[in-house]
Amino acid sequence: MSARGWTNWALLALALALAAVYLFPLYWMYVTALKTGTEIFANPPTFWPQAPVVDAFPMVWETRTMATYLSNSVLIAAGVTAITVTLGSGCAYVLARYRNGWIDVGLFVVLMLQVLPASVMVTPLFVAFSQIGLLSYPRTAVILAAAAKAMPFFVVLVRATFMTVPRELEEAAMVDGASRAGAFFRIVLPLARNGILVCAILTFMSAFGEYIYSKSIIQTPALQPASVGLSTFIGPNAKDWSGIMAYAAIYVTPILAIFVLLQRRIVSGLTSGALK
Amino acid sequence: MNKVLRSVRDGVGFDILLIGAALLFLVAFAGVPLIYNVLMSFQKVDMFNLGAFVRPLVGFANYASVVAQPEFWLVARNTLLFVVGSIGGQFVLGFALALFFARGFPGAATIRGLFLVSWVMPGLVVGAIWSWILAGDFGVLNHLLKSVGTIQSNIFWKSDPSFSIWAVIIANIWLGLAFNMLLLSVGLHGIPRELYEAARVDGANTWQRFWFITLPMMRSTIGAVLSLGLIATLQQFDLFPAITEGGPANSSMVSQYWAWQASFKLYDFAKGATISVMMLVLVLLASVIYVRSTRHEVRG
Repeated sequence: MSARGWTNWALLALALALAAVYLFPLYWMYVTALKTGTEIFANPPTFWPQAPVVDAFPMVWETRTMATYLSNSVLIAAGVTAITVTLGSGCAYVLARYRNGWIDVGLFVVLMLQVLPASVMVTPLFVAFSQIGLLSYPRTAVILAAAAKAMPFFVVLVRATFMTVPRELEEAAMVDGASRAGAFFRIVLPLARNGILVCAILTFMSAFGEYIYSKSIIQTPALQPASVGLSTFIGPNAKDWSGIMAYAAIYVTPILAIFVLLQRRIVSGLTSGALK
Repeated sequence: MNKVLRSVRDGVGFDILLIGAALLFLVAFAGVPLIYNVLMSFQKVDMFNLGAFVRPLVGFANYASVVAQPEFWLVARNTLLFVVGSIGGQFVLGFALALFFARGFPGAATIRGLFLVSWVMPGLVVGAIWSWILAGDFGVLNHLLKSVGTIQSNIFWKSDPSFSIWAVIIANIWLGLAFNMLLLSVGLHGIPRELYEAARVDGANTWQRFWFITLPMMRSTIGAVLSLGLIATLQQFDLFPAITEGGPANSSMVSQYWAWQASFKLYDFAKGATISVMMLVLVLLASVIYVRSTRHEVRG
């Protein structure tokens, strides 16, 4: 083999080693969830479970009412995604199509809203929601708050997608008699569909893990999402590591599966939007 | 009326409707709360007048009382440490990895993409996993450090006041590293190859090529990455409840968690709002840098 070939193999091996080190925390989550109660606290720790057991999974699913928590997470994430995609796509389209002073102001507003930390927004949102009575519908309140948090980033990413749709196609459709609305819904949206879909999935995934708004706004355990459920038994005094890791594994495995399936599209969607 | 409908279907009204709906929503659930937050920081807000729309104004009393808190300077120091430590670690490691993957060996892009998995994980789960890795007695990190001889006895990352903030910084570096690497990779990709070849012909060594070509060509990317890093670090909240809860004795307390605690543990909403406003000044500073460094690209 040529010298260059060997170099490539060495680099590939090194890259795999680096990825293994980086992904070790994920591995450690799964391995811990599969260990027995005594093996978890073995000294030195075992890097491969001696006698893998799956008991922790049904245990934590039952005792921590994960079915309720996860269905709330799905509900909240779906609501956030629906609002973000519906309102955000149109906004991103207009911001991509025109270039003038007003559009620059709109872009500036969106970029500025993107940087507001949730920990800053949660206090005024909570007080305002309690004043207008929205706290009686805590999941709706969380959906509205989290959608406002998610939308600016979605707009920035989807705007980059709309920029790649040639304007001539839209103009041709209008010459052929389509209205502005018709050209948008029948020509532009279908062409931008893939980009919007990837960003919608990213929005869904981040809303699925949303914590601070839910923790602050939703007081009833039956309405809380999985992140709040996890928070009840972690923290500096956590003891039940087997249960925590099993809970975490159940919680993130769907997200990881979607990520692995769509990895290429997610990465390219992010790179096109984030720096442009 | 007919004219308006026509415009919405087939004119500029359509665009105004599209962008107006989104901006109206954002103003209602982000813009107004933001202003309300500033207003509350000048008011007396407690459990008794929470529902009232008119509350007594107190001038700068809230600010004075926040600064007078005994932990104020500790929190400020921790926030600074958290920001500088996280960004420094994410940026240096992310840049090193980006340079490594830019060598373009087979499989580089796919393996690099795997790193981004940290970006889609819920912050609370990442915090829980690191909390377990960093555990004092049975944590795997202490075991690894002991077996390579870096430390002699266990470090109690989460309960030792001199390490607790570092426990969260380590987890945050892991969380943000991939995003830094991805953005820096995009920047590296945009540097014309000919520059390096010309420099090689002129006899520049690897270090010189990095210092005189890569760094200057990456200036706007680096500006964007650092300011995004600052914004993301100030937004980071989930790791704190998962790992240290700001303790022990506030040794890992940072402004964003302090603000939340004031509002939702002590129910002192005015204090929470005041700390938030102080933090906002920092965030806005970062976003001005960010908008400036990406402006020409945003306009496309």
